[in-house]
Amino acid sequence: MTNKLSSSVPTDREVVLGILNNSEDALNRLYIGYFPMVLQFILNNNGDEDDAKDVYQEAIIILYNKIKSGDFELSSKLKTYIYSVCRRIWLKRLAQESKKTNNVSDFEDIVTVEVDLEQHEEKDLQFEKMGSALLNLGEPCKTIIQDFYINNLSMQDICEKFGYTNTDNAKTQKYKCLQRLKKLFFQS
Amino acid sequence: MRNDIELEGIIEDYLQGRLTEAEVAAFEQLRTNDPIVDHKVVAHKVFLDSMKQYGNVLSLKEQMNNAHAQIDVGTLAEEFRPHPSFIVNLWRKNKSAVAVAASFLLLTIFSIYSIQHNTKQNGTYEVMRREITSIKNNQNKLVRTIISSSKADKGPVRSAKFGGTGFALTANGYLCTNLHVVKDADSIYVQNNKGDLFKAIVAYRDTQYDLAILKIIDSSFSPLSNVPYKLKKGGSEMGERVYTLGYPKDDVVYGDGYLSSKTGHYSDTTQYQVAISINPGNSGGPLLDDNGNLIGVITAKENQADGATFAIKAKYIMEALKAIPEDSLGRKVVFSKKNSLQGLSRTKQIEKIGSYVYMIKVYN
Repeated sequence: MTNKLSSSVPTDREVVLGILNNSEDALNRLYIGYFPMVLQFILNNNGDEDDAKDVYQEAIIILYNKIKSGDFELSSKLKTYIYSVCRRIWLKRLAQESKKTNNVSDFEDIVTVEVDLEQHEEKDLQFEKMGSALLNLGEPCKTIIQDFYINNLSMQDICEKFGYTNTDNAKTQKYKCLQRLKKLFFQS
Repeated sequence: MRNDIELEGIIEDYLQGRLTEAEVAAFEQLRTNDPIVDHKVVAHKVFLDSMKQYGNVLSLKEQMNNAHAQIDVGTLAEEFRPHPSFIVNLWRKNKSAVAVAASFLLLTIFSIYSIQHNTKQNGTYEVMRREITSIKNNQNKLVRTIISSSKADKGPVRSAKFGGTGFALTANGYLCTNLHVVKDADSIYVQNNKGDLFKAIVAYRDTQYDLAILKIIDSSFSPLSNVPYKLKKGGSEMGERVYTLGYPKDDVVYGDGYLSSKTGHYSDTTQYQVAISINPGNSGGPLLDDNGNLIGVITAKENQADGATFAIKAKYIMEALKAIPEDSLGRKVVFSKKNSLQGLSRTKQIEKIGSYVYMIKVYN
C-alpha cells in the first residue's frame, strides 16, 4: 500500500513546478496521491467521504493559490502542509458544528498554517460573493459574462452563439449584464 | 449610454494592457482629472480580479473533481473507516491515553507493592506498623473491659488488625500519621493515653510522602487545648538529640536517640535517618528535638542495619496540611504558633505531649 502510494505521488518539486506551469497532470497526481491520507484523518474524526472531499479540495486550493502567488517557500514537506491545512479546516468545522473535538486521531506531523487559512478565508468569501452574484444575475447574462471573462470568448463568438444581429448589440447586452453583476457583487 | 459602453471598453483594455502608449498616457490624464473615472477603474480592477480568481477556482475545482472521480473512494474508505466495533474503535482512538493510564496504573501498583512487600522481602526497609495478633488482642480487650467497662460497648467488637501511632496537628482533632498505617483501613479508631477511643476518618492521603491526615469524628471528642509542639520548617542538623513517643504496645513508649543523617533510605532527601530504637507500632509517631520542635514523622527502619530509623521531614506535613481547607483546620494549626515546650526538661515535655500522641487502631 505504502509502496504503491509513494510511487504515484509526485515529488514536492514536481508539484510546485507543475502548478506554476499549469500542468494538469501534476495536479492530478498530487490530488490522487494525498487524498487517502486526508480521507483516513476525516473518517477517523467524525467525518465521512464527502467531508473529506470538501476539506481536501479546499486545502488544495489553498496550496494552489500559495504556489501561484509566488511567495511559496517549501518550509515543510507538502504532505505535512496539506495534512496540517486539512486538520485545521476540519477541526474548525467540527467546532462550528459543536461536535466533540478533543482526542483528535492524528496520523501525521503538523505545522502551523493559521495565516494561510486566514488569507484563504478572505478569498473564499470573494469566491462565494461572485458565485451568488452570478447566480442572481440569471440567464442569459450569466453565460455571456462567463463566456467572456472566464472562457475568454470574443465578442464575435458571443454574438454568434446568442444570435445577436451585430456585435454592437452583443456589446450593449454584455454591458447591461456587467452593470447588474457589479451591482450585485459590490452590494452583497 | 454609448459613451458608458465605450468608457467601459477602454477601462477594460487599459487594465488588460491592450492600449498603446499614447492611449495609456491620455487615459491616465483623464483618470487624474476625473475622480469618477478613476473610481470606475479601481472598482473594475477589483471586479476583474475577483472574476479571474473565481474562474481559476472554478476550473481548479473541475480538475479536482475529475481527479476525484479516478479515486476508488469506497474501497479506501472501507480500509480507513473506524472499526464498527465500539471497543476496537475506542482502543484505536484512545490508544495513547490507554497506554499512559495503563502504565501509570502498573507503576502505581508496582510502587505500592514494592513499598509494601519488596522492601520487606529483601529485608532492608520495614515500615513500622504493628500487626496485632489475635492472641495479643484478646488479652488487650480483656484488660480494657476490666479497666473501663463503660467503653466496652463503644469500641468495635472485632479486634484491630493493625496499629500505629499518630499525633495531633490541631486542637480540633486533626491527626498526622503514616499512610501505610491506615492505607487499607475499613475503619479507624484512635486511642489517647487515657484509654479513650475515638472514631476517625482519613481526611487526606499523601502517597508520595507516605503521610495521612486523620480527623477525629467522634461526638465524644472534646477539643484539646493548644498543641504544645511546633512544626519546624527548616532542616535539622546532624547530631541533634531527638526523641519520639509511640505505641508499639498498648501503652505509650518513649524512645530517644540522635539525628544520624540528613537523608533517609537510599539517600531519600525527604527523610531523616535517626539512630533511635523503634518497633512495629511506632510508625506515624512524632519525632521531636530537644526544644520540642516537631521535626519529622517516624516511618520505617532498616532491618539489616542496627539503629537506622527513618523519619519523614516535617515540611512535608505542612504540604499535606495545605490540601485541607484552612477553615476546617481551625485556628490552632501547630506551625503557626509559639512552641510552649521550649526550655522545659525532657520529662516535662513528655508529660505535656503525652495526651497529643494517639494510638491508631486500624480495622479491615
